[in-house]
Amino acid sequence: MKAVILDGIVLGLGFGLLGVGMTLVYGLGGVLNLAYGEVAVLAAIVVAQAMAGGIPTALAAVIGVLAAASTGLLLDLTLMRPVYRQSGGNKVLLGLLLTLGVAFVIEGVLTWRDPLGALSINVAGKPISILGVPLAVGSVWASVIALAAAAALLVFFGATIFGRAVRSVIQDELGARLVGISPALVRAVIFALSGGLAGLVAVTQSMTAPLTVNAGFNLTVTALIVSVVGGLGSVAGAFLAGVLLGIVDSVSAYYIGRYITSIVLLGAAVLTILVWPRGLLGGGQG
Amino acid sequence: MLEVSTLAAGYLGQKVVDGIDLAVRPGEAVAIIGSNGAGKTTLFRAIAGLLRPMAGRVMLDGRDVTRWPAQRVAQAGVAYVPAERHLFGGMTVKTNLTLGAYPRRPDRETLESVFEIFPVLRERLQQRAVTLSGGEQQMLAVARALMGRPRLLMLDEPSTGLAPKLAKDAFDALVGLKGTGVTLLVAEQQVPLALSVADRGYVLENGRITMEGTPHELDQNPEVRRAYLGVG
Ligand SMILES: Nc1ncnc2c1ncn2[C@@H]1O[C@H](COP(=O)(O)OP(=O)(O)OP(=O)(O)O)[C@@H](O)[C@H]1O
Ligand SMILES: [Mg+2]
Repeated sequence: MKAVILDGIVLGLGFGLLGVGMTLVYGLGGVLNLAYGEVAVLAAIVVAQAMAGGIPTALAAVIGVLAAASTGLLLDLTLMRPVYRQSGGNKVLLGLLLTLGVAFVIEGVLTWRDPLGALSINVAGKPISILGVPLAVGSVWASVIALAAAAALLVFFGATIFGRAVRSVIQDELGARLVGISPALVRAVIFALSGGLAGLVAVTQSMTAPLTVNAGFNLTVTALIVSVVGGLGSVAGAFLAGVLLGIVDSVSAYYIGRYITSIVLLGAAVLTILVWPRGLLGGGQG
Repeated sequence: MLEVSTLAAGYLGQKVVDGIDLAVRPGEAVAIIGSNGAGKTTLFRAIAGLLRPMAGRVMLDGRDVTRWPAQRVAQAGVAYVPAERHLFGGMTVKTNLTLGAYPRRPDRETLESVFEIFPVLRERLQQRAVTLSGGEQQMLAVARALMGRPRLLMLDEPSTGLAPKLAKDAFDALVGLKGTGVTLLVAEQQVPLALSVADRGYVLENGRITMEGTPHELDQNPEVRRAYLGVG
């Protein structure tokens, strides 16, 4: 049982890292970025190709994260502009359609150019024992990176002026403009950050299992579920929800079967919307 | 400091205010009075950059800021406090004040001067803005605006939602502000209150300025007395 929970936490930290990039963009601009998972896959393929080209793994990972961040920034500066000018239902719908289009394009191009593409980062070493449970070195590394990213994000949003400015745009965009904050600048930074986080997810996930070229859809759906459960625009909420969902996932896989986990996770999201519409920590406070 | 000339603004191609000429000199307190729907808020939004003017110019310290977005106008030293306040409701009073100083860090001195004007806020620092009373929220809105050390403070209906006693207090606080060198532009329906703080006033009717004068002149004007003071 202890091993199952610990596995869940490892999985959940990955979920949290995955969800946080989605939830920030959603909280800020009301855009559900359906291309989010594909950006992660794009980063994975960039890293894989760089490694195949003889670039050291760490450097390749940095290149992948930067490529993903640039993709996010590019999206914000081009396709997302008309979305921000809309409001209400139109905004949501246009955002969904455009990012879905981007997802199709990225997936199409990647599977065409590299149908068997996959990223697998092998972290050498004997399993590390944590609370008496042996964990693969890759899992430990992935968890440490996720925790470090969570800490960095919390400091950024909690203790820097710009981080607070981001939260203020989530809460009241007009109020933010009145104190001199540019929502366009904030959104561009967050879209780039979100892309970079997608890239980081690609790197950490490939430390535990290969990330294949067709993984995008699953990543997007998982990120969506984590955002919903964690609450609109909340960093702490995303990681909290990630860990909870990771434990739920791992426990239900152990006691019922792997086939059931997607449904259990979706169920958790539905339940959250019904009983706790703002999510665990929603509303831009965390 | 602020010079507005032949300004027109409105919504969906329809002009709501038109041919507005007004000037505010440094250190002055100027009131815009006018009944519901006269266009006071529209005029303020156009000056603050929230609404793109259809014609005319807005000059700030000799710089043409007419087509600047609101955030840029704010950084240039104009703090606009709308009647709806637009506070960051889920954040603490302290964070609201901190953000008022954006992009700088809030400095002690400004914070202290703000607490001097609104002492209650010091006791509410850790309270979330939504949980404040209406009057306290209005104080926080003005305080947040002051944190940016604005050169021009524009207040739209600072008495909104306040009981008469609180509205009076709010305006007393404004009188206090006048001594600190802030330039004030206030839109207010409650004409006696507005005239009590102002050095000069404009009357806005159906989107046009119909009168300008000192509080005394406006107070003595038969038109103003009939339309806004219920006398006559
Ligand atoms: N967003 C909008 N879209 C269309 N028309 C608007 C909009 N906002 C205001 N108006 C119209 O513009 C006119 C002036 O409104 P405005 O809010 O500027 O008046 P006001 O002087 O501030 O009134 P009040 O004292 O009631 O606040 C009104 O006729 C109003 O219906
Ligand atoms: Mg108004």
